[in-house]
Amino acid sequence: MKCSDLNGEFEALILPAPESDVSGGYTSDLLSDVMAHARQGDVLITIQSHKNTVAVASLAGISAIILCNSRPVPDDMVEAARQEDINLFRTPNNQFDTSCRIRRLLDA
Amino acid sequence: MIFRADLHLHSCLSPCGGLDMSPSAIVQRARECGLNALALTDHNTARNSPAWQEVCRAYGLAHLFGIEVNTTEEAHILCYFDQLEAVMELDRLIYDSLPNVRNDPVRFGDQVIVNAEEEIEGEVEKYLHGAAAYSVGDLTVLVHELGGLVVPSHVDRDAFSLTSQLGFIPEDDFDALEVSRHYDLESDPLSLRGRYAMLTNSDAHTLDSIGTRFNTFELEAFTVEALYALLHREQQPEATDRSDQCERQKRETHRHP
Repeated sequence: MKCSDLNGEFEALILPAPESDVSGGYTSDLLSDVMAHARQGDVLITIQSHKNTVAVASLAGISAIILCNSRPVPDDMVEAARQEDINLFRTPNNQFDTSCRIRRLLDA
Repeated sequence: MIFRADLHLHSCLSPCGGLDMSPSAIVQRARECGLNALALTDHNTARNSPAWQEVCRAYGLAHLFGIEVNTTEEAHILCYFDQLEAVMELDRLIYDSLPNVRNDPVRFGDQVIVNAEEEIEGEVEKYLHGAAAYSVGDLTVLVHELGGLVVPSHVDRDAFSLTSQLGFIPEDDFDALEVSRHYDLESDPLSLRGRYAMLTNSDAHTLDSIGTRFNTFELEAFTVEALYALLHREQQPEATDRSDQCERQKRETHRHP
């Protein structure tokens, strides 16, 4: 699956790398845990909407971030995502429902 | 003048702070330990600051006002001011942004506002351990705009610290980093020395831990401006570990080059 396939499923805030592959997902709000355990090509499902999440995603090789619960997204986070080529999405759904949705999309 | 300063103290207003931690009791205990400069840093609130000011003035102790803010990352950040109005402005912004969850004193502990005579004047309604709607970066900018200092708390701890929550120390405009009383100042395992000014404080929630760690500053006056100048120059403050607190003979653990 490509990151562009997530567009429409979730609100795309910025899509600088639509061709990036999504091979799995990681759901966590503790970024030090994300850094330790997320894998290359994962989509990160979280409520942590600030620019440090982009930094962690970039280090971990994460292709996209999905921000849950309609969290407000600061401009500097969108800008950081643009610079780091991380695709950024938002959804009104919570982390559980979003994770289930990603699982179904990956299995389809 | 030499200031021996413990700059991380919780009063009875923090849900986890002992009920006997009134500003008056804290100040008296700190004096017994030989400290002469203090900062009150309750979780997400500054509403014991008026009593704090009154008591510190009565005892002639140098003091700062503070809040230990829990950011959206759930990282604790110490914010220091020398003006009561400024800390109360931050208090209002932080409190308004906290989740609307009422404190349950039986589960979480009391959150009581007291006066200088240790009389209870009220309780804070929202649970103060919630996360404020400010990220570390936004909080840093806000506190500087309000004329304060920004010092991430106990960066060596494996909970509620920048390192535990983010896994790294972001490049925000911090004035210093704090290490906990468990941090080995000599071996400096996080290699902080040289990169940031380091402070170490007791993070006291009970009277007996006040002054277990403190910093020694030589300053004209104990103000934000003077501290800022000291923290941003090469000569760093001396950090002291005195786990066996109130012992007369203090163990000097390190002096910055």
